[in-house]
Amino acid sequence: MKRYLTGATGIILVFVLLYFLKGVLPPAFLTEVVIYSIYAMGCSFLIGCLGLTSFGQPAFLAFGAYGAGIYLYYFGTNSYVAILVGMLVSLLINMLVGKFLVRLSSSYFTLCNQAFCVVTFFLFQKALVKWTFGDNGLLLISRMKPTPIIDLTSSKGFYLFAFLVAIGVWLFFYYLTKKSVFGATCLCVKDNELKLRFLGYNTFNIKWFAFVIANTVAGLAGALYTVYFCMVNANIASVSSASEAVAISMLGGAGTLFGPLVGSFLFIGLKDIVSQFISHWELLVGFLLIVVMLAGQKGIVGSLEEYLAKQKSEKIPPAPALTKEGGL
Amino acid sequence: MSTQLLISAIILGLSMSGIYFLLTVGLSLCYGLMRMISLDQFLYYALGAYMVYTIKTLTGSYWLGMGGGIIITLIVAFIIERLINKRVYSKPVMFSMILTFGVNLMGVGLIKYIWGLTPKPVASPIGGSLNIFGTGVPAYRIFVICLAVVVYFAVQLFLNKTIVGTAIRAGIDDAEKVEALGINIKRLFTLTFIIAAALSALAGAIHAPFVMVSPEMGMSITAFAFMVVIIGGLGSIKGTMVSALIVGQVVSLGAVIWAPLAEMAPFLVMMIILLIKPTGLYGSKLASR
Repeated sequence: MKRYLTGATGIILVFVLLYFLKGVLPPAFLTEVVIYSIYAMGCSFLIGCLGLTSFGQPAFLAFGAYGAGIYLYYFGTNSYVAILVGMLVSLLINMLVGKFLVRLSSSYFTLCNQAFCVVTFFLFQKALVKWTFGDNGLLLISRMKPTPIIDLTSSKGFYLFAFLVAIGVWLFFYYLTKKSVFGATCLCVKDNELKLRFLGYNTFNIKWFAFVIANTVAGLAGALYTVYFCMVNANIASVSSASEAVAISMLGGAGTLFGPLVGSFLFIGLKDIVSQFISHWELLVGFLLIVVMLAGQKGIVGSLEEYLAKQKSEKIPPAPALTKEGGL
Repeated sequence: MSTQLLISAIILGLSMSGIYFLLTVGLSLCYGLMRMISLDQFLYYALGAYMVYTIKTLTGSYWLGMGGGIIITLIVAFIIERLINKRVYSKPVMFSMILTFGVNLMGVGLIKYIWGLTPKPVASPIGGSLNIFGTGVPAYRIFVICLAVVVYFAVQLFLNKTIVGTAIRAGIDDAEKVEALGINIKRLFTLTFIIAAALSALAGAIHAPFVMVSPEMGMSITAFAFMVVIIGGLGSIKGTMVSALIVGQVVSLGAVIWAPLAEMAPFLVMMIILLIKPTGLYGSKLASR
């Protein structure tokens, strides 16, 4: 059963089940969960597979969101094109910024990322205020025309579209991390970068490529966000939300396939429930983050996987020590 | 640009440098000795500012508030160190970063719970202005600059002339050998951590009259503190001082030229310095780990 649950069929099954949860839970909540899980997927990939923690994810979200927003406000009316433009803008910026950031060692990488996030925030809030209207933001509701095949301007159509995109992203990451050589080299960068370099791989390019992929996915989430809310303002890049992606990844389990989905379900659910009673969700998220980190930083899905693996290994005799130690 | 504007911008930049230095010297010390990036320093910064506000409204004295804020922050930092942070010293930097970010986030939530969301004003304790080359400069800014200079020399004296400071410097070089000499390095870690927290609280207390005291104040200064730490190089006190001076001037002079430049110019400076030297100006080899 586990084989089916973690493979491609498992991904589609999970999302189809989640799709029909709309009978129980409000669709607006589920749409937000799906957008956030796409956003956290990139961050989770960076933490879990490369060992790079990025506290600057809102910046990459904002580039996608503003790419789509500016296209819709000034140039066209088609939401599909807007999402593509958002992805393209974030791809180009990530390729440029990645060249600078990926050179740094992991602690400097994290600090620089957050600094970059603040710069992006001020870029959209103050420097480009003529075009982005700062805190008021771009209001796109009158600019968006109904699209063919799936109508993205209706909430039902968008709900379906967000799920289709999420399935696409998940399948992409599944084949990238679990089936491709590139995914294996990424894990190797995390474990022993020096050894990989010794084997003749260009680790800079691997990290750069992974950075670009992860943050372009964040940009895609940003573009979806713009189309869904029909608006974008500078708050999307604010530093106080910088923790969200990291918190979601760590809660769900960084580097696991369904970690970001479980994490964002929990995170947004808690945020919605908690803010009904007290308006300070930071307290709870901070507390959960501390608990997850002290309990072994595996997250919910990670711990579950470990538990299942333990159950399985009790039936089957243990594997030779060489593979267990991760020796190459 | 008139001379008066230039002089007041430079003085403002210097006072900002003072605050950045006080805030980041703790981060730098913690990284040097314990190899952890302690993001909860921003919580102590906000806590220092809030204690000043609270004690000042209760008693009317700013100085009492500053002292009380530092003492209360010391206690809070001690408890957090004993409960949470001591578990992460042997782990990779990434681990301490996420964990202390969680502490910071929780602290922001608690601050919002206790003091509410509205920003609180704190009046400047030193009124009046001084005349420097024909330009009126608020006396409080000069006080902040002097205080930062005094703290810099005090930290240098502590590290270089006292036996505990020598042990800390030795620990920065090689923690294992210090332990082998029979020095209780755990106690040294605790001491360094609460010194760092006290300096952060001091930074918050003296920054409070410049800005409104709000729950997000720790978050909003984060990026500048990071830029200072990165430009100077993690783990170097002198580097922190030099880069605080650079960032302070870039921020205030940038604001004179074009307002949005103030926030973005330090980032450009940081990028250029990192291109030339990936470990920062005074960063040693240990930072590349």
